[in-house]
Amino acid sequence: MMHNLIKQSALFHSLLLVSALLAACSKTPSGNTVDFNAEYPPEDGGTMIDATRGEPSGLITMIAGEAAASAVAQNIFSSLLRFDKNLEFEGELAESWQVSPDQKTITFKLKPNLKWADGKPLTSADILFTWKLVTDDKTRTPYGSDYKLVIRAETPDARTFKVSYAEPYAPAINSWAGLQILPKHLLQGQDINNTPFARNPTGSHYYKLEKWRSGEQISLVRNSLSSQGPARIERLVSRFIPDEASQFLELMANNIDTMTLNPVQYARIFPARPELEQKFGLYKELGNSYTYLGFNLKHKPFDDIRVRKAINYAINKQELIDGVLLGLGEPVSSPYKPGTRWTNPDLTPYAYDPGKAKELLRQAGFKPRNGDGVLERNGKPLSFEILTNQNKQREMSAVLIQRRLKEVGIDVRIRVLEWASFIGRFIKTGDFDMVVLGWSLAIDPDQYSIWHSSQQAPGQFNFIGYNNPRVDRLLEKGRMELDPDKRMKIYHEFAQILQEESPIVYLFAGYGLPAIHKRIKGIDNPAPPAGIGHNSQDWYIPQPLRRTEISQ
Amino acid sequence: MLNYLLKRLFWMIPLLIGISLVSFLIIHLAPGDITTTEAGFDPKASEESRQKLREIYHLDKPVIVQYGLWLERMVKLDFGTSFASHQRPVFLQTKDKDGNVTPGMIEEALPITLLINVLSLALILVIALPLGVISALTQNRAPDRAITLFVFIGFAIPGFWLALLLMYWTGVVHDWLPISGLHSQGADAMNWFAYTLDTLKHLTLPVLISGLSGLAGISLFVRNGMLDVLHQDYIVTARAKGLPENTVVYGHALRNALLPLITILGLSIPGLIGGSVIAESIFAIPGMGKLFYDAVLMRDFPVIMGILTIGSALTLLGNLLADVAYAWADPRVRRGVMQ
Repeated sequence: MMHNLIKQSALFHSLLLVSALLAACSKTPSGNTVDFNAEYPPEDGGTMIDATRGEPSGLITMIAGEAAASAVAQNIFSSLLRFDKNLEFEGELAESWQVSPDQKTITFKLKPNLKWADGKPLTSADILFTWKLVTDDKTRTPYGSDYKLVIRAETPDARTFKVSYAEPYAPAINSWAGLQILPKHLLQGQDINNTPFARNPTGSHYYKLEKWRSGEQISLVRNSLSSQGPARIERLVSRFIPDEASQFLELMANNIDTMTLNPVQYARIFPARPELEQKFGLYKELGNSYTYLGFNLKHKPFDDIRVRKAINYAINKQELIDGVLLGLGEPVSSPYKPGTRWTNPDLTPYAYDPGKAKELLRQAGFKPRNGDGVLERNGKPLSFEILTNQNKQREMSAVLIQRRLKEVGIDVRIRVLEWASFIGRFIKTGDFDMVVLGWSLAIDPDQYSIWHSSQQAPGQFNFIGYNNPRVDRLLEKGRMELDPDKRMKIYHEFAQILQEESPIVYLFAGYGLPAIHKRIKGIDNPAPPAGIGHNSQDWYIPQPLRRTEISQ
Repeated sequence: MLNYLLKRLFWMIPLLIGISLVSFLIIHLAPGDITTTEAGFDPKASEESRQKLREIYHLDKPVIVQYGLWLERMVKLDFGTSFASHQRPVFLQTKDKDGNVTPGMIEEALPITLLINVLSLALILVIALPLGVISALTQNRAPDRAITLFVFIGFAIPGFWLALLLMYWTGVVHDWLPISGLHSQGADAMNWFAYTLDTLKHLTLPVLISGLSGLAGISLFVRNGMLDVLHQDYIVTARAKGLPENTVVYGHALRNALLPLITILGLSIPGLIGGSVIAESIFAIPGMGKLFYDAVLMRDFPVIMGILTIGSALTLLGNLLADVAYAWADPRVRRGVMQ
């Protein structure tokens, strides 16, 4: 037996050795070196290859819905409005837009001479058609509700589109930035749910589809009739590589130009390999979501604000950022992107203060009893389960939280579940104590569906059961107010109440960590709030730096 | 014989219905459906719209009614359309009135997986047969020990780990083989020879990795079969009448030792359409394993059921084929079937 074990471990060590040897020999740059750091004037052409983990299910985003689909479709389709580098609205297809004095009607004026990629004119009829599609009950989209609030949509002329709401609805503007306009002349009479158009689309943005190889890649080529003027890079290729490690190998081998790194690749592997740092630029952008610890407010003792605050004080957020994200993230104290107007600048995260946590728990009536280190009240120990889904960052956060809560006398077990089971079995039924989950750092400040007390039915998003009449009123007011400055005050107050009541513990917002090959020029660094890709149409690849192997 | 075949084929029908019913029920036992996975946790997607989707997909009906609807379509060999992938047909392509073709999901993934699995099965047989024979002939001596050690290392080594190392070694350190994917950039412009060569280069590592773990089973099977046969009386007879050793080993022993292999090959037919999720993810190959895994995570019931149905039909057919082949190869079995 012993003999066997030794044999096994010797084998294991020799395997490790082989891998170490393999890893130690790295490629030396061959022959003619090109200086990727040199400056070049902007020019058109070239191919940029990136890698995504998933393949789009289709390119009509109102139906496909997933991130992979939006990533490709946003290069093909235009919306009425878009966000500028600071995440403020600007016109995309619309030249201007006007809100009526009673705030119930929005009138969009389209830019002149808009064209689809096939040369047909793009008019307000296309926009009306798209609105009808997204609100049609036969369309299999989960995103129709914002648009169903429109009681009247009109096209007084080919360049004007007018929508009216029964009540002023502030998120409306944002919703028109999210609706990609589809061509009426190609889709009329088709069943949107299974139209071949989803795999062979015609849009009006910088690029058009060149070829979609199922399961392998999508390539886009410049649209000469783009409604936004020309982009510089001729061809965009997205390869579908589900595995992060494989993506990284492809990056090292110079087969792809850009990928999103994880913190280990960014903070450990890159600095250890100068040959990578020579070829690739590393960037940081504010991520799109924050991670939080949520309480089931309908379960005792989480209805007690002192318990929630105690847990908030007991968790060391900086430790989470350092441990889970290797420092590549920041704490948040409101559900909005830091640096945008919606973030209340007066709020700061709960400090790490275990003494205060213990004091609050004592005030709430929890005392040590049988010497096992777990506090009790009325014979009930402070012992809970944290649920989370299969997401490494959330799992690691849960482990660090478990340890910190143990120090103040709270016993925590962790349970990791597959996503659909997690939602179906626990979130919908409200059968949980604490969860580690994420919400997006919304661009529009409306958080009605997450925090309003009416949104607690199974399947709705206020599943933690938050109920505060003051917050309800603010959320209702915020939806009716289209003036950005007045709206800002409403949501600052809303964020402040959330901070005081601590219904969730904000843990962190991780950075997006793109690595981009230095052959690609024109990148804004540091990235503005809208992210590194906000001006990707101006990126360019100078002739001498292009790949040679692609001949087409 | 024909009678026997017909009887076996007939009994496959209730068996298939039973299998599909059990699979259908088990899938629906798992919490969640397409409406929990698809629009994810997006606050912009309202619960009412999700309820509407549930109605469109009949997910609000009792499971047994859903099964009835599914069976009704299956009788017409209609595998339905995917929930998740924009209503793509599950199995075969469809053509609409304007002549636009929408490719089927299984139709696209199956040939790739089949190619990899057939290649790796061929590789396994080509390597494992001689290894097994050599092992048996040198039983308990150095070559036997070395071969056994080698095939067990191949069996025990984590495929994904070896795959990543080989990808690094042959793709990053040296420019010998492509790292992932099925085709190079610009493969469309290649002539057929260059295109085939390019595809084969991309398939080298996946085939090698999936073949390596299969060596142990087949080679040990051949080894033990050979050892059994070599101790039989008729081998002693063959040697006694002075036949050359090669004739004894390859003419008499090996042919008999290979008989059980027929069963194994028959049983591996359904395996040919199943891909490895891990290998396919690492090598970015759009095969059956990834298709099935993603469908399960998305709760894309038509796709899951489609793959399961084809898989179980092939399993039953494989069993039948193995039995028939066995009867063909072995007179003793043949006589038993006839009676």
